[in-house]
Amino acid sequence: MDANQMLGEIREINLGYMLLSQQMLREDRTAAMYRLGIGKDVADIMENLTSSQLLKMAASNMLLCRFRFDDHLMAEMLTSHSRDRAVSQFHAAILMAGQPAEAIV
Amino acid sequence: MRNKSILSEAKQIQLASELIRLGARLQVLEANSNLSRERLVKLYKEITGVSPPKGMLPFSEDWFTSWQPNMHSSLFINIYHYLTAHTDVRGIDAMIKGYKLYLEHIEASQLERVLSLTRAWTLVRFVDSKILCLAPCSKCKGDFVVHALELHSNHVCGLCNIPSRAGKTKKYAQVIASNTQQLSAA
Repeated sequence: MDANQMLGEIREINLGYMLLSQQMLREDRTAAMYRLGIGKDVADIMENLTSSQLLKMAASNMLLCRFRFDDHLMAEMLTSHSRDRAVSQFHAAILMAGQPAEAIV
Repeated sequence: MRNKSILSEAKQIQLASELIRLGARLQVLEANSNLSRERLVKLYKEITGVSPPKGMLPFSEDWFTSWQPNMHSSLFINIYHYLTAHTDVRGIDAMIKGYKLYLEHIEASQLERVLSLTRAWTLVRFVDSKILCLAPCSKCKGDFVVHALELHSNHVCGLCNIPSRAGKTKKYAQVIASNTQQLSAA
């Protein structure tokens, strides 16, 4: 995959992510905030972005979303096959719900 | 007390019917709306087609600390706390929303609905009245439901340290047996 192609794909993911999260927030703000793991201020900004702002944001060479399981344990849980899949997913969901929300500092 | 405003009554009815659809018992409805008992019973019959079950609500706080229920109630209470901490919904609305998100998780991973709405409501009340509380697991740092008066400085959750017989119920054995039968037949 050459650099141009990669940038194109990053843009596509960014755009898809932004559009989806905006739609989620507009349909059901509370549930969307839980699903996205974001706080009130981030939700406000996302919800009020105009289409052109959204396009500008998406046209970046960096991904706008990032891993929510940034510690070793959670990564292991989500990928482990040794245990019952439902149980490890349950464990991961409990840990994720307990994580602090993404907020603007 | 008679309801004066029609609009607020409509809201109450909407809330009550949502609770009924999620499987709430009559006591939960009575505590969360100021509609009369007769109207609630009527509403219950209209929505579910049967009379509301009689008798006391399940009241044991120990239920929440046994393995499988603990898993489910910890997930629910974590969702509930996330919602009350970061969003604008409060009280019974946060509970309904949290319960719906919990149900979504259960459906997504094809599990059984262990925590009923009535239990979830009881759990929130137990946590509020400090009979149960949340303690971090010393291994995974997640918050889990525990008795408030126990020592929990070295609490290890049931998911980091799965008991050997956990989840191996009669139903589970039946599912496994039917699966192996299907496999051997094929």
